[in-house]
This record gives sequence, structure tokens and C-alpha cells, in this order.
Amino acid sequence: MKLGAGPLALGSPSDLRALAQAAVEASFDCLWLDGPPAAAAMVAQWVPVRVGAVVDIGIHHPLHIAEDIAVADLTCGGRLEVLLRPAHEDPGVVKEHMQVLAAALSGAHIQWEGLHLRVPARLADNGQVPQRLALNPRPMQPAVPAWVLDAERASFASARRWSAGMSIGRRSHLPELVLCPARVEASELLEAAGEEPAYFVIAADSPAEARAAGRRLAGPLRMPEFPDWARSV
Amino acid sequence: MQSVPQRPDPHVKLYRDLLDDAALAESLGFDSIWLSEHHFWFDGYCPADLVAAGAVLGHTSRIGVGTAVMLLPMHPVDKVGAEAAMLSRLGEGRLTLGVALGYREPEFDGFGLRRKDRARLMDALLPRLAETCAAAQPVVPVYVGVASAVAAQRAGRLGLPLFADSTMNHAELREMLAAYEAAREAAGLPPPPVHALQRDVFVTDDPDRDWAMLFPELRYMRRQYGSWSSPQATGETATAYRERLDADIDAKLKNLIFGSAGEVGAKLREFEALGFGLIVCRSQFGNLPRAGLRRAIEGLGRLAG
Repeated sequence: MKLGAGPLALGSPSDLRALAQAAVEASFDCLWLDGPPAAAAMVAQWVPVRVGAVVDIGIHHPLHIAEDIAVADLTCGGRLEVLLRPAHEDPGVVKEHMQVLAAALSGAHIQWEGLHLRVPARLADNGQVPQRLALNPRPMQPAVPAWVLDAERASFASARRWSAGMSIGRRSHLPELVLCPARVEASELLEAAGEEPAYFVIAADSPAEARAAGRRLAGPLRMPEFPDWARSV
Repeated sequence: MQSVPQRPDPHVKLYRDLLDDAALAESLGFDSIWLSEHHFWFDGYCPADLVAAGAVLGHTSRIGVGTAVMLLPMHPVDKVGAEAAMLSRLGEGRLTLGVALGYREPEFDGFGLRRKDRARLMDALLPRLAETCAAAQPVVPVYVGVASAVAAQRAGRLGLPLFADSTMNHAELREMLAAYEAAREAAGLPPPPVHALQRDVFVTDDPDRDWAMLFPELRYMRRQYGSWSSPQATGETATAYRERLDADIDAKLKNLIFGSAGEVGAKLREFEALGFGLIVCRSQFGNLPRAGLRRAIEGLGRLAG
């Protein structure tokens, strides 16, 4: 099991620092931010753990998104994770942007012709342009861990309404990412996950909540049959 | 951040070096550190200035961070404005935006844009960005990158300060400032508190040693920029094209300020007297050896301090 904290609100810098520091001290593996890669690049300089960013897909050119992700991953030394949030009403647009984003982040030399995008555009008015282009620089990680927000499931956006009805599914090499309330118990998470790997993001809104959640969850989620005597320390 | 053929480096090291350089600049008393932008180039050139700025802001505590310059017509202005406001808030007012047109056709084309539309896009986007940045808390200062009188007039009509290109000489700068002032006064706007100027500057205590280190990198950098603004013509041989690029290098090198701290300081004060209160000194050309670059930054830091 992996444990994240967040999504942390990008309010005042002092509040954000205090919450981030508390989450690190409480043994969370990743700090998820309610903001773009630029915010993750900043917070990654404050903490030694992984950082997560939320990225809207379907509005802005996917090459801009890929560039943001690559530079954030480089500046944080390969510690970036991203949640891709569909933000266009047409699923076809979102799907195509996802495909171009994935191709760009892979380092491929891209020549994409779709319904909504053409990359490179090779517009007649532009002079000497290449037949293909590639994202540069590339991310540090061979593959930046990325999840896609599924609005119909208990996930990042609807997590505050999370209940025991949550299901864990493994549809890629990554465990499912599930946002949980700050007061969730380890037993609930373990029961929901069963034998599947899972990545729980705890919605802690204050340093005190982050510390309490870390004390309550870190041991049991990382070790089967966590001893009772340790719970009472 | 450039991993050049004559001195390749892993891109992750270049971005790590950026953070180290920012910390060094802060410790030496510089007011700000500036980032430039280009896209789809093999060497690691930063294409996402605001993300890199976020990292620098997080890594430092006092120094300002600016973009010199962001190629605004290629960007979604609402995204730029929102992220700049967010970074200004989290960075406690240390972010400044310099924005300009951009010129390299493959960059426009990559984003589905026409280079010929860049001025029209700038005219549409710049006022919106300026409005968003003025409303941010803290306010994000916006400078307009210029290399011509026409571009200066655009900035003047909005009353935004200039960020003058490094290749302009004194006469060109005076002409540009006059065009700016005329446009600003016609618009009935107050003068900005300060204009900015970028210069190629290298402080040395051993000119022979440092010139031997510097010249190949300067030549590489100027060939690269020259090839972007003036691509090889159809039918032009590689030899003829290189000769054409190299001829331009000599003209551009005339604007380089290279000398002792005292000599450099005297030259920079000339630009201050012209009306540029903020001078952004570029001392990294291509990918200089770290020790050499550090010496130059420390030398410049003696002026900053």
C-alpha cells in the first residue's frame, strides 16, 4: 500500500509549508497538490518525498502539458506523479489529447493526425518545419506515474463522499488511486483493498489531521498483522 | 539549460544546476534570476518557464525569479495568468514575467499556430495577461520583450515596462525608448518605474583563459539563434550557410561586455544612464564549464553586492 496526503490546497505559503512538513513527518509517501506541475515543482523543493499535481486535459495543447510535466519531473529529481482530469465536454477531444500527451512523454518522434489535433501542424504559412517533433527535455522518470480521474467512481474528485462501497481495481501497472477522508481507519482500507495493491490519498486539511492519520494508518498499511502493542504506543 | 554537442550533460543535471545557480545568486546578493524559453530543441532548453520558476522559488527564499522571456503567443493566456498568480502568492511576490513574440517557426507550428499571426496574438493576449497579473496578490510585474521600435510602441500603448533584447546597441536602444515614450504619452499613461535590459556579460580576472573557454560556446549559441531566426535558404550550401551565420556572430559579439568587474560595472552604468534600471546579465552561453560559470557569477556578484 502507498499513502499520499492531499490534495493540499494552494492557500497561504506558510499554511501549505506547515501541512506539507507535517505530512512528511507523518510518513506519507507523496504530497498531492490541488494545482498544476508548477506548484508541484515548488513544493518538491521543500520536501524529500514524491509530489503529485492535477492536470486538466482537453483544454490546453497537450504538448504544453507534456512540457510542464517534463520540467517539473526534472526539477524535482524524478519525484512527480500526476492526476489527469478530463476537462472538455467531448470525450473524443479528451481521448485524443491523452494520446498525444502519452506519445510526447514517451519521447517518441511524433507525427499525429487526428480529428482534433495535428502535430506538427505543418501549416502552409509556416516555412521550414519538420515532419515530426519530439518533446524536449523529457521527464527524468522513464514513465511518470499518471492516473486518470474517473468521475463515475469514488476517486479524487468525489473522495469526500467516499464510503465503504469503494472498490479497488488494477487496470495498469499502477495501483488504483483513491482519495479517502482524513478520519478513515486502516481496517476499512485493508478490507477494501483485499489482495490488491492500492494507493490511498488521505484528505488531511491540517497538520494535526495529517499527523493523526499517519500515526493511525502507516504501520497497519505497510505491515500485515501489525501488532496490537504498537497501536497503543 | 543546454546540453550542447561540445559539452553534453544529462538534462536532469542541467536542471539541478539551475537550482544550485539560483542558490548561489541568492547568496551573492543578486536581485533576481531569469529563465528563457524555447521548444522542441534537442539540448534540454527549458520550454516551461513557469514550472522552472516554481522550482527556483521553492529552492530559494529571497531572490526574485523572472522569465526572460516567455513566448506569450504560443501559450494559453488564462493558464499563464492563473499559474503566475499562484506562484506569486506561494513565492510571496518574487515572480516577474517578461514576455515576447517568439520567432522560430517550428515552435509556432508545433502548437498549431502561424508565425505570421504572432503580433496579432500578442496584441490580443498581452492586455489580458497584464490585467490578470495586476489583479494578482501580490501583483506580478509584466515586462514586454522588445527588439524593435514597433514592439516598443505596443508596450508603450499599454504602459508596460520594456525588456530590451541583448543584441541592441546604444543607438537602437535610444530610438526604441523614444518610440515607447511617444506611444505611452499618446495613451495618457504614466511612466513605468523601471525598464529592463538584457546583456551578455562575463566578468573575468583572466581574460585570455576565459576567452578561450567562452568563445566556442558563444559561437555555438550565436549560430543556434542565428539558424532559428534565419534558416538555411533553399539551395544554399552548408558552407555558405555557416559563413552567413558566422558573419552575424561578429556583429552580435560587439555587444558582449567582457572584462574585469570594474570594467563591466562601468559599461552597465552606461545602460542605467540610458534609462534601464534593471539589467539582466546573461553569463551562461551554451553549456560553460561549471567552474568557469561560477567564477563569472561570483565576479558579477561583487557588483550586485
